[in-house]
Amino acid sequence: MRRLAAALLAACLALAVCACAGGPAASAGLGNGWEPEGETPLQYATQFTVEHYQGGCRLLTLADGSRFFVVPEGEAVPEGIAADITVLQRPIGDVYLAGTAVMCLFDALDSLEAITLSGTKADGWYIENARAAMERGDILYAGKYSEPDYELILQKGCRLAVESTMILHTPDVKEKLLELGVPVLVDLSSQESHPLGRTEWIKFYGALLGREDEAAAFFNRQKQYLDETAASGDTGKTVAFFYISPAGYAVARRSGDYLTKMIELAGGRYIFTDLGDPETATSTVALEMERFYATAKDADVIIYNSTITGSQGMQSLEELLAKSELLRDFKAVQTGNVWCTNQNLYQEMTQLGTVIADLHTVLTEEDPDPSSLAFLYRLE
Amino acid sequence: MKNQRDRTARCIAALLLLLLALAVLALLNVGLGSVNISIGEIAKVLLHGGGSETGSQILWRIRLPRMIACLLLGGALALSGFLLQTFFNNPIAGPFVLGISSGAKLGVALVMVFLLGRYQSIGSVTLIITAFVGAMISMGFVLAVAHRVSSASILIVAGVMIGYICSAITDFIVTFADDASIVNLHNWSRGSFSGISWDNVRVIAVMTIATALLTFLLAKPIGAYQLGEAYAQNMGVNIKAFRVTLVLLSSVLSACVTAFAGPISFVGIAVPHLVKTLLGTSRPLVVIPACFLGGAIFCLGCDLIARTVFAPTELSISSVTALFGAPVVISLMLRRRARE
Repeated sequence: MRRLAAALLAACLALAVCACAGGPAASAGLGNGWEPEGETPLQYATQFTVEHYQGGCRLLTLADGSRFFVVPEGEAVPEGIAADITVLQRPIGDVYLAGTAVMCLFDALDSLEAITLSGTKADGWYIENARAAMERGDILYAGKYSEPDYELILQKGCRLAVESTMILHTPDVKEKLLELGVPVLVDLSSQESHPLGRTEWIKFYGALLGREDEAAAFFNRQKQYLDETAASGDTGKTVAFFYISPAGYAVARRSGDYLTKMIELAGGRYIFTDLGDPETATSTVALEMERFYATAKDADVIIYNSTITGSQGMQSLEELLAKSELLRDFKAVQTGNVWCTNQNLYQEMTQLGTVIADLHTVLTEEDPDPSSLAFLYRLE
Repeated sequence: MKNQRDRTARCIAALLLLLLALAVLALLNVGLGSVNISIGEIAKVLLHGGGSETGSQILWRIRLPRMIACLLLGGALALSGFLLQTFFNNPIAGPFVLGISSGAKLGVALVMVFLLGRYQSIGSVTLIITAFVGAMISMGFVLAVAHRVSSASILIVAGVMIGYICSAITDFIVTFADDASIVNLHNWSRGSFSGISWDNVRVIAVMTIATALLTFLLAKPIGAYQLGEAYAQNMGVNIKAFRVTLVLLSSVLSACVTAFAGPISFVGIAVPHLVKTLLGTSRPLVVIPACFLGGAIFCLGCDLIARTVFAPTELSISSVTALFGAPVVISLMLRRRARE
């Protein structure tokens, strides 16, 4: 038994060493003596930087320490680039896109042709151009992020895999892709604390794809929505954003999560304060029904997270009340202020300014025109 | 005498058949995949080091390590199942009856929820070691019980209870998990041979072959044990040490599988019976190598189905093994009931 205990202790120590060894060490500069000539200005995003180098080259640095050096088309790749930097040459193509939130950025930059493989099937996309491209066969399904079809990825000559942070839970997939010579870019936009920080990632992909002007213009338009909304100030209205799980408990967003911040930017107040641990990456919190009822029943507006419901979304108020009869007592239900998200909410990172505008409309107008809302609809 | 010769001939024929089936399935696993590679190109790549770059990468870095890992881990599972069925004298005892997979899942849940939940990235080695350590801790508790009790049925109850405890703690941890961790933990627990690397294969090979060889060396004491504890004791077998060794060997084998491929169901339960039916004997000297071969064949076949039938979507390996393994278990239970 003592020997067994010693062996287990040794294994635990090995585990600790492996865990601490995770994560790349940040290194300064390109390694060849080049100095940056400038940097892409960022207003909200904190998880990446874009440094400008001579010849139109860009160094994309992510918060996890990974770095990508983008060389314009036709330019020679500079010598002496540090080994930890992945060099990519434009035009960027043959991308395996497993991070669903990123597709809208490629679409907004009119760069879907750069994507050859997708980690989501055609019917899983709410972005029309992406769905159409898959149905035409321009983009093929290559397996989901946790079980990609490595053979297809190799056959198609994939030059870059863009993954979401979900791949952090399946490190063997990232390691396998790297082993096969496919650079892996983990999109960290989900770790942005400000909603427009996520939208500002369009500048990252703009730098990657050589569409920086378009990216800046797009971002400025979204920021304009935010500025216009912010100008009208606090509406004083409280909002409950949640869904009812199949097991019967409520799942709300963590306080300080980007969605709750969007509510605040729209002039509302998220009804749940101090919900969840801000130090963790957890974005949702499961609530026992007592606390949920006690807090949410007084919310002025309910926004039901219909992205969880299924491809059709919630169709009527009765369908919502069938999930929990307690909801009948809610102020928002009694005043007819129950709204639902469209299925595309999490796939439209480029439109977060529009989402904020929609939220503001819902908070300020008694009976808004449904056609004026892109991401929300009233449940009746 | 004639019966003895017939039995020996049958065993030899069965082993040869198993070797042939293994060779065929190994070749099929190397030859078939979501990308069509001609036999000529496969031969060029494997025998002459030629062929296209893509074909070479697919064969050497994807199909071959996966096929070898599947072969070794399938054999390990079947062997683990045989050991436990012998030990408990119960035909439906499986590799995970002692809470091995539950312990491994608990370890993985802890890492996913608490380590990854704070934005830290980890290597696959961390998950593998965690799963293995979790499995071994479960086994440790079972061994602690084995030291104190002589009844096999109490031991199996202890194993099941430990499995329940681990599952309950996992559910508790999942309560505080985000959706990403829950989804990924569920994916992990479905089992998969995807993403196996040559580094993994080296570790798997050392662990499974060494443990399988040790098991083979125990063939005689196992054979004596099958005739009863009293008989085995009379033959000089140290029953207590023997029981601990059996549990240890079985647990190392199943922990190795769980660590590298997640929990894979039914192989450990179904294959030993299929093999004994084929051989027409329960002699460990023959059954042990045959079980290993049988488990390898079963897993290779199921993995081929799992990764090719709906490619590029990959089925869970446990779904396929259960589909083929469950009918075997059901028929066994019915036969046992009819005999009783």
